[in-house]
Amino acid sequence: MSENKQTFSVYEVFSQKSPTASFTHQFSLLAPNHEVAMTMARENFMRREPAVNIWVVKRDDIYVLPPEERPHLERMDNKAYRETKGYGDLQAKWRYHKEQYERKNAAK
Amino acid sequence: MANQHSITSADEAKQHPEYLAALKELLYQMADDDFILAYRGSEWLGLGPHIEEDVAFSSISQDTMGHAVMFYEMLEELGEGKADDLAQLREASAFRNAILVERPNGTGHYKENPHFDWGYAVTRFYLYGLFKQTRLESLVHSSYQPLTLAARKMLPELGYHLYHWQVWMNQLAVGSQEGYDRIMQGVEKVWQDAGDLFVFGSKEVDMVKFGLIESGQTLAQRWLEKAKQALDACVLPWPGMPQTTELSGRAGQHTPDLTEVLNTLSEVYRIDPAANW
Repeated sequence: MSENKQTFSVYEVFSQKSPTASFTHQFSLLAPNHEVAMTMARENFMRREPAVNIWVVKRDDIYVLPPEERPHLERMDNKAYRETKGYGDLQAKWRYHKEQYERKNAAK
Repeated sequence: MANQHSITSADEAKQHPEYLAALKELLYQMADDDFILAYRGSEWLGLGPHIEEDVAFSSISQDTMGHAVMFYEMLEELGEGKADDLAQLREASAFRNAILVERPNGTGHYKENPHFDWGYAVTRFYLYGLFKQTRLESLVHSSYQPLTLAARKMLPELGYHLYHWQVWMNQLAVGSQEGYDRIMQGVEKVWQDAGDLFVFGSKEVDMVKFGLIESGQTLAQRWLEKAKQALDACVLPWPGMPQTTELSGRAGQHTPDLTEVLNTLSEVYRIDPAANW
């Protein structure tokens, strides 16, 4: 058994519920290779939920962001324009600038 | 297949005594094959090579048991009595399963020193699966419509089971000398009983005449081709023609192992068959 354990790897299982859905991570399992991981995947994690496709990925093949780099994911909070809601107050902003412009002209 | 127009319901089948007799015989064979092999599969619970396989194998056995239930329910509709009773209250001599499916998983007992044979499990479930696929493919054209519908439903699920076992066959046969030897031993063991699968019993002529299913001979040919491809894919030698068992399961002749199976699986049910489960 101990010999077996050394040749088994962790595989991450992803499934797709419908042809247009994104793949969702389900769980991980131990298997000696991709083929076996694939045959185990459905019966272990998709017994109740529908699935139209499955991915199995060897966990070692996933390149993970090193822990010391993770704090750098934090961003300054001055980039609202990149978010959809950044365009939400566009009309109000436009009105504001228009009024400023007209007031300036009237004062002349 | 013969002329027969299609029979659309149990009530219609009941109006033709000869047709009904052949249909029932065929249903018993299929129900009992799946039921007993699913039971053998369920005996592996907790004993599979690893936890993931344990779950997968148990699930496959559940599926197979589900197929047996569908056949027993068809028999119930045909007036044979309650499906649960058919599965659990008949004597061994009333069972029509092939000898192959009643063979024990190995030496020992589930509760005591189970020394089960994984090589035999893989080869038996795979080669039986190929036979079942051949039989269901023939049933897709059956004259009994409820059977064609059931066969269409079962085929995709069975396809997954075959994929599962084929991966195991390949892993073991190609992986190491020990794996290869154990798969070969499994194949040889299956081969001793495989001929019995294609014996359809005393009603075979009527089954074919009424367009219920093609002959055992025809199905055997197709299975041999599938089995040959399967073994080729694993670089395993061809063992020749399968043997026929001394006992004929389809004639109700069985080994003492079947009696033991039936005693175990119906132990609780027999205490009070009228109870609600």
